[in-house]
Amino acid sequence: MTSSSTDITLLVHEPIDPVGLAAYVRGNSDGAMVVFDGFVRDHSKNRRTLYLEYEAYEPMALAKIQEIAAHIHNHFSIHRVAMVHRLGRLEIGQTSVYIAVSSAHRAAAFDACRYAIDTLKRTVPIWKKEYFEDGSVWADGELPPLPSATSTVKPAS
Amino acid sequence: MPPVSQSIRVRVLFFGRLKEIAGRTQESLDLAPDSDIESLFARYASRYPELQQYRSSVVASCNQEFAPWDTVLRAGDEVAFLPPVSGG
Repeated sequence: MTSSSTDITLLVHEPIDPVGLAAYVRGNSDGAMVVFDGFVRDHSKNRRTLYLEYEAYEPMALAKIQEIAAHIHNHFSIHRVAMVHRLGRLEIGQTSVYIAVSSAHRAAAFDACRYAIDTLKRTVPIWKKEYFEDGSVWADGELPPLPSATSTVKPAS
Repeated sequence: MPPVSQSIRVRVLFFGRLKEIAGRTQESLDLAPDSDIESLFARYASRYPELQQYRSSVVASCNQEFAPWDTVLRAGDEVAFLPPVSGG
């Protein structure tokens, strides 16, 4: 199962263009678009963050993002999806992940967008290192589900 | 009798802190046939003892799909050791 051919699923090393993505995702047959814009916070656990670095297992991460896009098409009445994650060094305030989902009615777009970001954070092989004035740490992450559980995340046939 | 076994070559990838501990992002390695992912990790843990403490918080993949630790490896497989993910 692949995501819809009209979706945008990308890993990028340059700044994300939210305006262009939003314009692409919203269509005249839609009545709603829900956007999740995740960006770099200036602190972590009471420490001042200087910047972040993201890395990914790129081919697998892109495949997992495409699986999520396919899944939300199969489970929610939505139109178009954009899911973009940026890699490399990101400064405070810069967008690291951007998800936009359009639909005829708002409920499906809200539900699908929430599912997409929650699942991305739990299952897509991307890692973030936080840099502080006195050192750096790999962010606490989530352990992806075991393969038996992962298979249920794949689109239902 | 032919040789009992020929070794198989697999590609191994490391990410996040595992990459830093192993001091590399990837390498190709020859293994005994019927080696599984668990034994592959154990081999690296004996080379880099600090890895062992992360065993319970690592997930493995084989050919870019999450894979159980008892997955038996074949020649040409690409195995990755993945720390807890923290994208977003």
